[in-house]
Formats: sequence, C-alpha cells, structure tokens
Amino acid sequence: MAQSSALPAEQYNYSIVRRFTIMAMIWAVLGMSVGVYIASELAWPFLNFDIPQLTFGRLRPTHTTMVIFGFGGSALFATSYYIVQRTSQARLAFPWLAEFTFWGWTGGVALGVLTYVLGITQGREYAEFEWPLDIAITLVWVSYFVVYVETLRRRTQPHIYVANWFYLAFILAVALLHIFNNLAVPVSLTKSYSLFAGVQDAMTQWWYGHNAVGFFLTAAFLGMMYYFVPKQAGRPVYSYRLSIIHFWALIFLYMWAGGHHLHWTSLPDWVSTLAATFSVILLMPSWGGMINGIMTLSGAWDKLRSDPVMLFLITSLSFYGMSTFEGPLMSLKSVNALSHYTDWTVGHVHSGALGWVALVSFGSFYHLIPRLWDSKMYSQTLIYVHFWLATIGIVLYITSMWVAGIGQGLMLRSFDDYGNLAYTFIETVEFMHTPYVWRALGGAFFVAGVLVMVYNMAMTIARRQPAAETQLSAKPAQA
Amino acid sequence: MFDWLMWFTRMDNSKPLALVLFFGAFCGVLIYVFADKRRAQRLESYKNIPFDDDEPCRLDASPVERHPQSRKVNGQ
Amino acid sequence: MRHEQIETNSGLMLLLILVVISIGGLVEIVPLFYINETVEDVKGAVRPYTPLELRGRDIYIREGCYLCHSQQIRPFRDEWLRYGHYSLAAESQYDHPFQWGSKRTGPDLARVGGKYSNQWQVQHLNAPRSVVPQSIMPNYPWLLQTDLDYSDIVGRMRALRWTGVPYSVTQAEYDRNVKTFGKATADLLDINQAQDTLLKQARDREFDGNPARITEMDALVAYLQVLGTMVDFTQYDEGYFARFR
Repeated sequence: MAQSSALPAEQYNYSIVRRFTIMAMIWAVLGMSVGVYIASELAWPFLNFDIPQLTFGRLRPTHTTMVIFGFGGSALFATSYYIVQRTSQARLAFPWLAEFTFWGWTGGVALGVLTYVLGITQGREYAEFEWPLDIAITLVWVSYFVVYVETLRRRTQPHIYVANWFYLAFILAVALLHIFNNLAVPVSLTKSYSLFAGVQDAMTQWWYGHNAVGFFLTAAFLGMMYYFVPKQAGRPVYSYRLSIIHFWALIFLYMWAGGHHLHWTSLPDWVSTLAATFSVILLMPSWGGMINGIMTLSGAWDKLRSDPVMLFLITSLSFYGMSTFEGPLMSLKSVNALSHYTDWTVGHVHSGALGWVALVSFGSFYHLIPRLWDSKMYSQTLIYVHFWLATIGIVLYITSMWVAGIGQGLMLRSFDDYGNLAYTFIETVEFMHTPYVWRALGGAFFVAGVLVMVYNMAMTIARRQPAAETQLSAKPAQA
Repeated sequence: MFDWLMWFTRMDNSKPLALVLFFGAFCGVLIYVFADKRRAQRLESYKNIPFDDDEPCRLDASPVERHPQSRKVNGQ
Repeated sequence: MRHEQIETNSGLMLLLILVVISIGGLVEIVPLFYINETVEDVKGAVRPYTPLELRGRDIYIREGCYLCHSQQIRPFRDEWLRYGHYSLAAESQYDHPFQWGSKRTGPDLARVGGKYSNQWQVQHLNAPRSVVPQSIMPNYPWLLQTDLDYSDIVGRMRALRWTGVPYSVTQAEYDRNVKTFGKATADLLDINQAQDTLLKQARDREFDGNPARITEMDALVAYLQVLGTMVDFTQYDEGYFARFR
C-alpha cells in the first residue's frame, strides 16, 4: 500500500507543529527576558527610567502573558497537534483552520502584549486582554477545539489515548473559564468594565486564575508528559489504570480550589474553607500523576545517566511533585495568613512554571526537534549545559523567594515588648533587596539556558542533511 | 414511613449527601478500573498506543489487528 | 454507562468532562450572587465613585498598581495596627473590576484615603524616593504632565450603570439615589451633570495643587483619598460585621 511506506513527515502535518515549536521558543526568550528585567526593576528601581511603557506595572502582565500564553500556549498547540496525530494515526483535520489557530494565537498574544505596554488592560490578573482581543481569542480557541476533536474522530483505532483526554479537558475548561471571567460591558474599543463587582468578581477571577494554572499549566502539560515520557523512555507508562483515576480526580477537584487565593478576605468563610479542603485532597491525584510519570522509568533508571532529555523530563516531574505539595500547604488558612501577599507565592508559582511547565516543554521539544526536522540534535553536551543552567536558575529563584516571602511575612507580624509593630512596611522592603538580587540572577541563569537551547535548535535545523536517504536509515534507530 | 425522605430536602444535609455521592462515584471508578482482571488487561494494553506508529508498515492493518484486546469493544 | 464507551466516543467524553469540571465552580460561585449574607448592609454608607474618582481608578488600573498593592485588609492584629479595620465586602461592591490584588510589594491601600495629605500623595507619586528613600516604586512623573481626558466620562458611567452601579440618568433613578445617599451625593452620581461634577471636584479640591489645570494626578489622588473612608466604623459594634464572615 502506498500509505504503508509513507514517511511520518508526509503522513502527518508537521509544518504546523514546527511553526508552533519555533514560536514557543521565541516567546520563551522574550517573555523570560522581560521577567528578568522586571525582577531587576524590583531590585534597582532606577530601571523604570520614568518611561511609562517600561514601568513594572505595565511590564508585569507582559511577562506573564508572553510566558503563559505565548510560550506555554504555543508549546501546547505544538505538542497537542503532534500527539493527536500520532496517537490517532490520522492526519490533522482542516489544515487551513489549524493554520488560522497559529496566526490567530500568535497575533493575539503579540497584540495583547502591545496593548498592555500602552496601558490598555482589564486589570484582572492573567486575563488582562481587553474585550476585542478576548473575542478574537475565543474564535481561535473554538477553531482549535474543532481541529482537535475532528482529528480525534478520524482516528484509526477505537481507544482515545489518555494524553488526549488531558488536552480535551484543557481545551474545554479554558474555553469555559475564558468566557465567564471576561464578561464585561465595553465603553470603547480599548476600555470595558467587568460585569461583576467586588466579592463575586473576586471569586470569578480566582476561579479563573486558579484553573488557568490547573488546566492550562497542569492538565495540558500532563497530557504532554503522558506521551513524551513514555516515548523518550522507550517504555509504556507505568500504569494506565492509574492515569484514568488520576485524570478524573484531577479535573474534578481542581475546579473547587480557586477560593484559596482569597483566604481571610471579604469572601465568605465557607467558600475559602471548602476551597482549602479540596486543595489538600488535590495532592493525591497530583502525586498520582507524578508517580505514574516517574515510575515509567522503573527498571531503566540508568537512562537518567545517559540521556539528558530524560533528565529534563524526570526533573520536571520532581518539581511538579514539589510544587503540588507546596500548593496545598500554602492553601491551609494558617500558612496562608503568613504566605499570602508575599514573595513566597511568587516563588511557588515559579517552581511550578519554571520547574514543571518549562522543563517538561524543553524535554518534549528535545524529543520533538529531531523528529520534526529529521535530524539529530546538534549537540548533546549543550543539552546538559541547558539542563544545569536551568536547574541552578530555578534553585536560586525559589530559595531567594522563600527567604523574601517568609522573611517579610514574619517581620510584618512581629511585635515589640509593648505590643507595637516591630517593623514598618518599608523596613521589610529594605530587607527584600538582597533576595531580589538573587532572584534576578536566578532568572538570568534560566534565560541563559534557554538561549543555549535556541542555539542548539538553530544549529540542528541549519545543519540537517537533505532528507531522502538518511531518513529511511535513521527511522528504526529512533524508535 | 417515608419520613426519612424529608432528610434529603433539607439544605443543611446537602454537604454529607454530596460527599457520599462524590465519594461513591470515586469508589465506582476505582472498582471499575481495578476489580475485573480482563478489563484491567485491556486497559493496560492501551498504554502501548504511543508506540504503534513506530512501525509505519503496519498502518494498513485494521485497528483490531493492531490491538487484539480492543476486539471486545468493536464486537459489541 | 460503560467506561469503554467514554474512552471510545469523543462526544460522550467531552460531555462528561464538561459536567465534571462544572460542578466545583457552580457550587462555589453561584451562591455568592444569592446569599444575602455575602455583602454587609451598611445603610448607604458606601457610594459609587464620583466621576473624578472613577477616572482616577481607571488610571490606577492602567498603570497596573494592583500588581504591587492590595486593597484588602485581613482580620489580623498586625494588619489592624498597620492599615485599620478589616475590609468589608460592602466596600468593594461597586468595584468593576475588584482590585483586591494578590501581592504586597508595597503596602495595602484599602484605607489609604485621608492617611496622607494631597501634597504628600502628589510628591510621592511623582518621585517616591524623595519622601521614602528606601522605596522601590517607579516614579510617575507623567501623571502631573498629562491633562486628564474626561471626554468619555458619560460613556464610562453609562457602562457601569448597565452593570448595576446606581448612577442616575432618569429622574426616578435620581430620586432613588437621593433616598439612599442623600441629595449632595446623588448629585455627584448624576450622569447628566457628570462633566461639571468632575471639573468642580477637581477645581475645588486642588488635588495636584494646581487648580488651573486638571491632570491625571488630580484624578488618581482623588481616588486614593476616598479609599476606605466611606464606612464610619464607630457606628457599628464588631459583632455586626462578624455575622457576614
């Protein structure tokens, strides 16, 4: 049969995957560099330069949007389009619509970032896009949904592989969250007011904010994990049944936990207590997933010594385990009383974002790049270099944030012998200067690692052999 | 005689009721997934799906041939 | 239902996922709109923002102040001493969007109103380190240099009115406001005189120290100076607010 001898590159639509992969790396460099810059602004405020467009308040949403939606989003588009094709053994449906998701998503994020710098924002964390962009993004998302589901429907075998379940839940949940959290009444093209106010608005926003983490940055990346960890390890996932339980428990429990961002506020106590309870229970499916991923390597632990890509994937799962332990801990009301509003939260987010999301994406990309461009990685050594730069960066980042956050929390609540406050607020700001410098340094390490990867990737693409004869001989070896 | 039914109509009881329902559903999934040995085998066979496409020459084979365990599903 | 039907049928799986992910949000969010214990009754003490304060709030959002300053005081002894009475739900009932924040790189601002003079606020916003040497806040010199654009104030208030904020357009709405807030406040909330109200407040109060020019600084300081000042806590005993927690 003609199809039987077809090469994967022809059998599947790889061009869309390639483009999203490249775009993800561009967003990573841009978004993380802005991150280092705003971290430096907190250490050395002169860096704001009295230029409105460069101030922390406008660049911070720029950083979060480029990293979460730019880098994370593109990485998810790339891997989900790859996985859905390979596990369904069907070519991507509606290629023109998939094309539209690429330009729509890339253009949307770019335009959004530009509007933040100009001061156009909804003032809702992680949902700062104004309403016209929200509508545009909804259109892109619906197209994504259509392409994804139709490709699944064209699969050549009855069972839907578990990685796709996670992507499906992610696509659905993000649609739901995005639409309800962005309900607003427009004033003009660049200004709107949210439909809800006060308590109701706060709960809606953090229902969104927490589940953006739960579904965008967790469920979807778990889908990535369930495909690339087994593939890279060359052995199937530890327990398929555990993955089923893990999936349903995770998507059910996550949606309850948003209220823990609003402990001790004007939100009624019953909501935040309920949210804290579910946050603690959430530890179980989270660790179920981590164990399932790590144990995939059981019996082949030596791969950690010989395969730097495996190192990325397994380390990312370790950070996932760590931050999903830290999260429930911080959702306890007594701990939250200290940690909330401090840099401990910022450190926690980054142990998840850098340690889990970014490392699992890099690991998956190192697996993908040789297959997408049909060539070996330019340098294995540089993958090791990237790994160590990233790991050192993360460790510097989260330890400095523990110091800053817990330190500030303790200072703010300490009293002198007469029952007066022991420290003024500004004294805590002074105290945080040193950890802020270390944090910026940690971020710089991480960005340096990303730059190494970009170089490695560029050289791989530039130096690849003109296809044909190498492809056929290389294929079995890769399997 | 049916007085106990009134218990379900009180809002205060919604919490234990929800707990029992959700926990029951969870136990149901657990039992479904782990109790039956044949079903367990079938489920575990799916973990090889990512490796199916490593042999492009077998793409022409029907799904059932590639996944003997899934025959049951199709046969229904 | 058999799980293998779910595994093999994408439509069924989608439906089930949708049900499972909807439960949590429904249980926690929907009751907040119906339970009347969510928002305290403070007998009309909390009013919507005046046109000038509203524009100030828009600037607060534009500059991303919420990323470093919270507006939500928690019921702890240290926060009581540092910031004042814990925040009530009623105090942000007209906040579209809410600005409670999630991070205190700088101090909480929920009750910053009246804490410092207008002069101090202007100086501090213009060059924070000239008053607090260790501060890491950016300078905001352009606020004093930029004339306030209030041309679309009516549109902004109308949009908020549409969401349920009691700004008045009709006589009936105006009368209702007189009843709830008193005549002086009802005048401030009348959309028909919004521009005049805005200009009058800016000129009379001289927030930025220069009555000849109405700048963005006027609006932002007007907003900061009203934060947390609306409820008179001496009127209530503590047990009253605890009921709503």
